[in-house]
Amino acid sequence: MTDGDLDAADPRTLPGFFDALADGELLGGVCADCGQVLLPPRPACYGCGSRAVDVEPRSREGQVFSYTEVHTPPPAFEADAPYTVAVVELADGGRLLGRVAADYADVAIGASVELTVHEPTAAEREVALDYETDWPVHIFEPR
Amino acid sequence: MPKPVIASVGASALGRTDLPGRDLFSVALAEAFDELPDPADLVEAVYVGNQSESYEHQIMYGTLLAEWAGLRHVPAERVEGCAAAGALALRHAVKDVRNGEHEAVLACGVEKMTAAGTSGATDALSAAFDRAIEQRSGITAPSQYALLAKRYLHETNATEHDLAEIAVKNHANAARNPRAQFPKEIDVATVLESDPIAPPLKLYDCAPVGDGAAAILVTTAELADDLDRPQVRVAGSGASANNIAVAERDMTDIAGARIAAETAYEEAGIDATDVDFAEVHDAFTVCEALLAEAAGFAPAGTGYQSYQSPAERADGWTDVQLSPSGGLKARGHPIGATGLLQALEAYEQLTGAAGDRAVEGAETALLLNEGGVADAVTVGHVLTTAEAP
Repeated sequence: MTDGDLDAADPRTLPGFFDALADGELLGGVCADCGQVLLPPRPACYGCGSRAVDVEPRSREGQVFSYTEVHTPPPAFEADAPYTVAVVELADGGRLLGRVAADYADVAIGASVELTVHEPTAAEREVALDYETDWPVHIFEPR
Repeated sequence: MPKPVIASVGASALGRTDLPGRDLFSVALAEAFDELPDPADLVEAVYVGNQSESYEHQIMYGTLLAEWAGLRHVPAERVEGCAAAGALALRHAVKDVRNGEHEAVLACGVEKMTAAGTSGATDALSAAFDRAIEQRSGITAPSQYALLAKRYLHETNATEHDLAEIAVKNHANAARNPRAQFPKEIDVATVLESDPIAPPLKLYDCAPVGDGAAAILVTTAELADDLDRPQVRVAGSGASANNIAVAERDMTDIAGARIAAETAYEEAGIDATDVDFAEVHDAFTVCEALLAEAAGFAPAGTGYQSYQSPAERADGWTDVQLSPSGGLKARGHPIGATGLLQALEAYEQLTGAAGDRAVEGAETALLLNEGGVADAVTVGHVLTTAEAP
């Protein structure tokens, strides 16, 4: 097994993934052995156990796979409720959960969306862990 | 190899209580040992299922509850797996007895959920989700399961009315369970008209927040005989983790639960058709539908018929009865204790102590206890009074 040289610049770590995301680039892991897409990238493939994981820029476009509306938020999100959350199937494979910048009534399974990122707001920084403070927050915009 | 059996069970009151976690445990323990020697004269190890220190700012629950049971200098540990912690504790106890390490092990679980209020419970439960993507998107337990429910309703013929019927069925069962947090019948309209929590799920699709503790004594069959205790054999135990993030899983084929159930069946030498009743992890109504399929009771896409009588269900269903206790929905769901409350129900059913909610002629039960969202981790147990095959 390798990976002894993983550091925070490596996109198979969370800091590496979010650094790229802050620049607008969504990186995904792709298993060199079975093709499984891993979002975010990580050192090993859950599909087959391989550690040959390539990291590639991925399409930020996708379709809503499932969605709901949060009426009873965690304390840190109280000011935002109700808000829409979806699982999105990305155009070139893999699924990612995120907020959707649309009312629940205006979303449907199959709806086209695009992943965008913003710098954390003051409120988001307040509930962030030290190492998360500068991580961007992603949200899906309807297309 | 020694045969592990459940030799005694006990539980505290469930719901909003005035007792802290350790005292809830003392109540459960007192019931379990009512007709037994003191724990110090029997118990060789302790496992405690406990979800979160954020309710009581207390970890070290293994040490604490061992001490409160009058035990010192025994192996004791807290087991964490969110809502599957209870069945994980049971599984550790079963393995210790089966491999000959101990003759008597206490598996217990406790949660003092009301200590932090509803928002405290929401926050504590959200720690079970992937921090990097899921938690930072403001997802909650009900909204995670709503994503499963939305997809299930999209892919099958199930309707919100069917999900409501599952809640109605479980409340009807709980009405005959003196241990239940909500021992009262409800109707479909009550469910459908209840407050939206995360569509398609409404308040009455959700298991409640509540306090509770349970204690289960696992022993060798020989020791249970010596103690002159009614005994239920733990014939199979399986566990399986799945992805932590819901988005990366198959959201309608609950693979982790399927593997946990199949592993438990295989160890027990049975299949799904041998199961007379099951206690499944209906944290939300849709879970019962999904788990009926994962356990092999129902063909894919028909699990939502769990509330119907066997004659009404689709071809390919077994005649299993689901959650005679009232399930998490109405019996109650004090997270770390839940898996052990499932075992308690099976013990009472299989030893003739289930009163007027008894499943007639039952001799074999499946327990499915999940932690995280759905099958992030699942533990399955087969409990039986049938002779070993």
